[in-house]
Amino acid sequence: MPDPLLRLDRVVKRFSGHTAVRSLSMSVPSGGIFGLLGPNGAGKTTTIRMIMNILTPDEGTITLFGEPASRAHSDRIGFLPEERGLYRKMEVLDHLAFLGETKGLRRRDAQARARAWLERLGLGDWTTHRVEDLSKGMQQKVQFIGTLLHDPALIVLDEPFSGLDPVNSKVMKDVVVELAREGRTVLFSTHIMEQAERMCDHIVIIARGEKVVDGAVADVKRDAGARHVRLTFTRNRDAARRVLQDRALVLRAEDHGASAEVELAPGANGEGLLRALVHADVGLSQFAVVEPSLESIFIAKVGPAAATAVAEVAGA
Amino acid sequence: MHKILAVIRREFMTRVHTRAFVIGTILGPLLMGFMFVLPILLSRRETAPKQIVVLDAARGEFGRLTAERLRGEMRDTVTRTGPRYRITHLAVNPGSLQRVRDSLVTLTGSASEPTRSLDGVLVIDDTTLSSGRIQYLGVNVGSPADMGALRRALDPLVKSARLTEAGVDPMVVMGALRPIDFQTLKVSEGRVTGDSGEASFLLAYVMSFMLYFALLLYGIQVMSSVVEEKSSRIMEVLVSSLTPFQMLLGKVVGVGLVALLQIAIWAGTAMVLTTFGGRIATMFGASPATVSDLPLPAVSPDMLIVFLLFFSLGFLFFAAAYAAVGSMCSTVQETQQSHTPITLLIAAGLFCMFALLSEPAGPLARTLSLVPFVAPFVTPVRYSFAPLPWTELLASTVAMILGILGVIWIAARIYRVGILSYGKKASFREVVRWVREG
Repeated sequence: MPDPLLRLDRVVKRFSGHTAVRSLSMSVPSGGIFGLLGPNGAGKTTTIRMIMNILTPDEGTITLFGEPASRAHSDRIGFLPEERGLYRKMEVLDHLAFLGETKGLRRRDAQARARAWLERLGLGDWTTHRVEDLSKGMQQKVQFIGTLLHDPALIVLDEPFSGLDPVNSKVMKDVVVELAREGRTVLFSTHIMEQAERMCDHIVIIARGEKVVDGAVADVKRDAGARHVRLTFTRNRDAARRVLQDRALVLRAEDHGASAEVELAPGANGEGLLRALVHADVGLSQFAVVEPSLESIFIAKVGPAAATAVAEVAGA
Repeated sequence: MHKILAVIRREFMTRVHTRAFVIGTILGPLLMGFMFVLPILLSRRETAPKQIVVLDAARGEFGRLTAERLRGEMRDTVTRTGPRYRITHLAVNPGSLQRVRDSLVTLTGSASEPTRSLDGVLVIDDTTLSSGRIQYLGVNVGSPADMGALRRALDPLVKSARLTEAGVDPMVVMGALRPIDFQTLKVSEGRVTGDSGEASFLLAYVMSFMLYFALLLYGIQVMSSVVEEKSSRIMEVLVSSLTPFQMLLGKVVGVGLVALLQIAIWAGTAMVLTTFGGRIATMFGASPATVSDLPLPAVSPDMLIVFLLFFSLGFLFFAAAYAAVGSMCSTVQETQQSHTPITLLIAAGLFCMFALLSEPAGPLARTLSLVPFVAPFVTPVRYSFAPLPWTELLASTVAMILGILGVIWIAARIYRVGILSYGKKASFREVVRWVREG
């Protein structure tokens, strides 16, 4: 791998009473979309704040653009924090110009770029309105623009899609994908595994401050092996459940009621499971050996306690 | 540098654009102008002379002299517009005094016949000179201005009548009692500078109060705007692009410039009013002399520079401290208790200024000039008494700058941690730890 754009080497961050990040190492290659995944409280925001030099790590080093990370890199990074916030009383264009200036842009330049972005994201008519007059979704877009104004090489987005409706979410997703296609690097954190699965080239999953999975999405899935079966049944649920609880066949099952995602037990194979299910007469309507979803990989790696946390958050 | 300018610009523009600033800035001069023009307008109000009967039951000339003297009283001592009283002198013998007085009282303040109505009756009898008692019965006894004028007119009359009676020439006594003319000339560095020093001291005094109020008003603005940035969560974006030092300095300087602008507008208005007061009075149809002679002390340029220098240094010092307090709190309510120590320091500075008035060049004053939180109050006032040697001025400035660097250093460290801590207000021990660990 060529020199990574961003590298964390055994980074530790402690707060009074607990360790938020434990010896975390990861490399973000240049270009593409990198996902930092994990349930709430896993240490994602703390990690990102350390990358942004808002917090300093207690141990370990962070390297940005091949140099020790410092505030000097701030102008080449765009950052969207998890907690969104703008000056409510400022006019949209003024506000964006100011954000551009804090990244070293000339005011005139920042205004021109802000206009172009506002136009592109459908906020062209709002340049002279105050931020407080905008809807929450529009404010998020404005802040997103503020992140991109100075054309950063690295874009760091902390939970970028939380709180957005599907339409705005898609607008932002499209922009992110295009930025990556243009050769920029996007690092974003999320607790929604499906989203990461669709967008990311590379992921790191952390839980309780520790890294549990690291790699290209395709590799991660391949390493988990094709030992996953997705099945749907139409009757005899109790019988089906009995089959899924057979530890000789099934290592773990995620039971969704009428469907399930199953990881085969070591030594068992798909055919054996199929035979048992047909025998139990559960009215199979789907039986597919599949690549595991990131979610199931995540659950397999971190255990059921973290799994419930994810389920709750994803459901919320 | 470019980034600090951007922060300064934002702080300045957003503040100057608020309705509160516009109203406050305009209202100040309006109020000043109003207070200036109001007396002029009031003095123009046509009030009819008061109809007064001097009821004279005394022997000798005293009653007649009094009536004559009151006829000469003018409504306005400066503009001399018309007589204050219309006097009727009525001599009666002491036996019928009571009866005449009562019948005159029935005519006083009668609404049915306003043309023949009286405003009051002044009763003089034989005991007046010995006891000093003069009775006035009138409709306007509730007006302190009217009664004061009457008293002031009568008092010297009685005194000089007593002197004459004792065979003393009143002119001799009046001449002997004339107040002294006390001249003060300021000496600095072995030379008589000529000016009295009183005017420039008054100015420095006013300036100290201006600094005091600017610190309280705008220092607290700095503090609450930090809290606002925290609660609106814009802080996290800023802190990833700007250093705490840039944020702190930009904010303090931006707000400081707003304060200077507002004060300049106010001071400018005051200056215009006092300089062109006469002309403004003429515009309103009054004679220029209506304007009381408020001598605007001539501000020497070096005095102004010293004041501006220490105003700016003082503002930087305290506003940075306020910003640090703001960064420790999460809500505006919390700041209200937490900023007390700083407010007390500011008050202490003002009190120290009073304390050294008796000995502005003494060792205490010299020491206080080197204490950063006192110097902004003390040094300009000392300078107004007598220009300080440049070494002392320099020492005070250097002490101030060191103090500011110290405060900003501490404030930036508190800021760095404080701006991202939400929820519970930081305890004193925690803050000390923030400063130590940075």
